[in-house]
Amino acid sequence: MNYSYLDCLSLFGVGGAHPGGLKLTKTILSREYIDQEKSILDVGCGTGQTSAYIAKKYRCSVTSLDNNPTMLKKATQRFSSLQLPIKVIDGSVEKMPHFDGLFDFILSESVTSFTDVSLTLQEFKRVLKPNGVLLAIEIVLEESLSEEELKTLVDFYGISRLLTVSDWRNLFQKAGFKQISINKYKQPLDDNDIDTSTDFSLSGNIDEKLLEILEKHEHLTKTYKDKLGYYIFRCC
Amino acid sequence: MAFGHYYSLCQRYRGRAVEIITHEGSVHRGIIGDVDNSRVYLQPLNRTRDLGGFSYGWYGGYPGFGAGIALGSIATLALLPLFFI
Repeated sequence: MNYSYLDCLSLFGVGGAHPGGLKLTKTILSREYIDQEKSILDVGCGTGQTSAYIAKKYRCSVTSLDNNPTMLKKATQRFSSLQLPIKVIDGSVEKMPHFDGLFDFILSESVTSFTDVSLTLQEFKRVLKPNGVLLAIEIVLEESLSEEELKTLVDFYGISRLLTVSDWRNLFQKAGFKQISINKYKQPLDDNDIDTSTDFSLSGNIDEKLLEILEKHEHLTKTYKDKLGYYIFRCC
Repeated sequence: MAFGHYYSLCQRYRGRAVEIITHEGSVHRGIIGDVDNSRVYLQPLNRTRDLGGFSYGWYGGYPGFGAGIALGSIATLALLPLFFI
């Protein structure tokens, strides 16, 4: 079987599979006013680490959406073992259920990049309340790359294309977001405490081919360290 | 360091990626799957074949969690800062 990068994340059960991990998630959420009345949609919830954190910390309504069966299973297990009343939805962000105007916040932690961005942003706008906020942590192209380099990255990660900060801004505006604030994520140097370390929920025996993917990912991360950045977008 | 120290550390780091160096100098990179009174069991993060001259002797022949690493043989244990997008 040929595995993709996303298969690798789901079979390793990588929790908080986005730059900054749970620590950055906590920081971003702490800047928002969130009480029990709020309703939050965690798209591409993965193993449900973020959703579980939100439900425990803020006791608000949490909906978790993913389209990967392995991830959905791991998220569901996590929520039931923690007895958290989180709604789990099997679905695509590009075409969501009839959630019109339902959410105060949407959290996209390195998820939108992996989709058809225009479609997804339109959907986000549709399911957010009129003053709802989109919080997104996404990959950004910082320096121009050759066609060949772009192809390597796009093929490996299974993304449609790499976007610059101004591409992202234009797409947010096109989807109807008026206020867009953009901050670059700076990776801390001493990134080794338990809160930033990734939590894994492994699926039985790990195929050697998945280790190959992990190695390639590590290699690409190092090679393109200065050409790819990670940004926090807040849009409403 | 006392045995109990690594036992409780491994318990705490269950499901996390770590790098363990033993007193004999072998290096193990993997996710902590389990820990018992005497050993910690890792899901390796690297393939078994040698890469760039490195050789993780302990993995040889053991698939998956392998035979485990004796807690008493651990010299250092550190969380690995892995990066995912």
